[in-house]
Amino acid sequence: MTGRPVLLEARDVTIRFGGLVAVDSVSMAIVPGEVRGLIGPNGAGKTTFFNAISGLVPLSSGLIRLGGEDITALPAHRRAAAGLRRTFQSVQLLPQQTVLENVLIGLHTSFTAPGWRDRRGREAAAQAQVEHVLAFLGIAARILTPVNRLTFAEQRLTEIARAIVSRPRVLLLDEPAAGLSPTEVEGLGELLHRLRDEWDVTILLVEHVLSLVLNRSDRVTVLENGRLIAEGCPEEVANNRAVQVAYMGVE
Amino acid sequence: MERLPWLRRLFPFVLILALLAASQVMDNYLQYIVNLVLIYVIIGIGLNFLLGFAGQFAFAHAALMGIGAYTAALLTTRVGLSFWLALPLSGVVAAVIGAGAALPAMRMRRVYLALVTLAFAQLIIWVLINWNAVTLGTDGVDLRAPYLFGWRMRGDRNTFYIVLPVTVFLYWLARRVLESHVGRAFIAIRENEIVARSNGISVAWTKTLVFALSAFYAGIGGGLYALALGFIVPDSFGLGQLTLHFSIVVLGGMLSLYGAVIGAVVLTTLPEFLRDVQALQEIIYGLVLMVVILVMPQGIVGPLKRFGILPREVLARNWRRLERRG
Repeated sequence: MTGRPVLLEARDVTIRFGGLVAVDSVSMAIVPGEVRGLIGPNGAGKTTFFNAISGLVPLSSGLIRLGGEDITALPAHRRAAAGLRRTFQSVQLLPQQTVLENVLIGLHTSFTAPGWRDRRGREAAAQAQVEHVLAFLGIAARILTPVNRLTFAEQRLTEIARAIVSRPRVLLLDEPAAGLSPTEVEGLGELLHRLRDEWDVTILLVEHVLSLVLNRSDRVTVLENGRLIAEGCPEEVANNRAVQVAYMGVE
Repeated sequence: MERLPWLRRLFPFVLILALLAASQVMDNYLQYIVNLVLIYVIIGIGLNFLLGFAGQFAFAHAALMGIGAYTAALLTTRVGLSFWLALPLSGVVAAVIGAGAALPAMRMRRVYLALVTLAFAQLIIWVLINWNAVTLGTDGVDLRAPYLFGWRMRGDRNTFYIVLPVTVFLYWLARRVLESHVGRAFIAIRENEIVARSNGISVAWTKTLVFALSAFYAGIGGGLYALALGFIVPDSFGLGQLTLHFSIVVLGGMLSLYGAVIGAVVLTTLPEFLRDVQALQEIIYGLVLMVVILVMPQGIVGPLKRFGILPREVLARNWRRLERRG
């Protein structure tokens, strides 16, 4: 892993809400092609940290870099345009709209980007990209189905499709296994590696299902009470004393 | 209609031709009603952008229609500008003022936005009433009809020849906007602003755009309204007018361009049928609206789409070619 340039970097990120320190000076560096797991007990600050990276929560101090560029001051929609996309813990789609419309929303910035003049061509190209990503995720037949008629797992995939259709550099997944059956979680685990290997996207994964994180991540970062308490490959982290104490209360 | 694609494609042209043919045999009064229906189609589309698609509870639509009407009337009578220039300007002036109403929408939502925009609308009416030097106050103003190839375009049938193409064009434009990334950005901010931002959509820009676009339609509708009536007063653009606009969108169906058309037809002709029971008009209006909201939350287009009488509306250009692949 050494020697490769860092793709997503958080340095001394601190987030305070009034007197509460939700995230306390957390640093993290993710290299291209990595699946990084982010775990920690409830209230560890995972979601806050995650929101700070995607630009929804302002930092109190510290900085965030994407591909070497400082994006700390960029609003969320500019970060998305720069290639940082995310999904949400509870699926956030337009329930009455079709899969096509929902996934096309993920391509908004390809219409607003300067240079490409031909408007009709843009829309056709965008729809072709949607067809391609749906085929990749195995839900191509659903393209014109309203989202509220999909199964829950298909809705998850639709949200992932919207997040990756623009071929972002970094994909932030916020508890993608929530609400899925064990079989579906297994499928999701395989998908994570296909996304990394075939879709060329680097992944930061927040997840409560520990087996998924430990089996599928290249490296794992552990937060507790807003602080980073461990980082390393899954085996190292699983055997880490501080992690075991934080999770199981083992003394 | 869903199973007969050729009928779907042909239908708009058939409708336009039928309207043109019918106008040759209509009496003036019926022609006047048809003109009003078309004007309210424009108004309804404008409010549907804002309320239906972008989910913004703004209440300034009637006042913005008033801005358009007064712009057209004052520019033609007091400035001496041709109606052909005054009409687009009535849309532009309303759009600029309407975009101003997007500012409070950046910070507040739902009932708060409704209250602020309602106050804004009342302010506009107040200005129309009290700025005597310009608007002539409650005396109202008239509008100078335009010339076309030396013909003075007066009377209801001539008005129809102006209103029809404008309505057709604005309907087509609305379809194009909604089937693009702009329309999809509208529905994205309606559902969830955080999701919209996370997908690269600037919420501030999208709101400004939808408020301006909606107001542009209100302004053009107002300019044509002034033309159709020939004479306007500030009172025409108050709460009664606003209720009518909301009724058109809710009754016809939010999130649907067909809804604006159906709502405009029903609510413009309904009072004509209720002419004999004028005292009951408002009550019947209110009852109809309540029943529709309870029984058909998607408006009249809801069941019409379910039974395949109206085609689906998907916010993506040429989406039907994808049907053949599934």
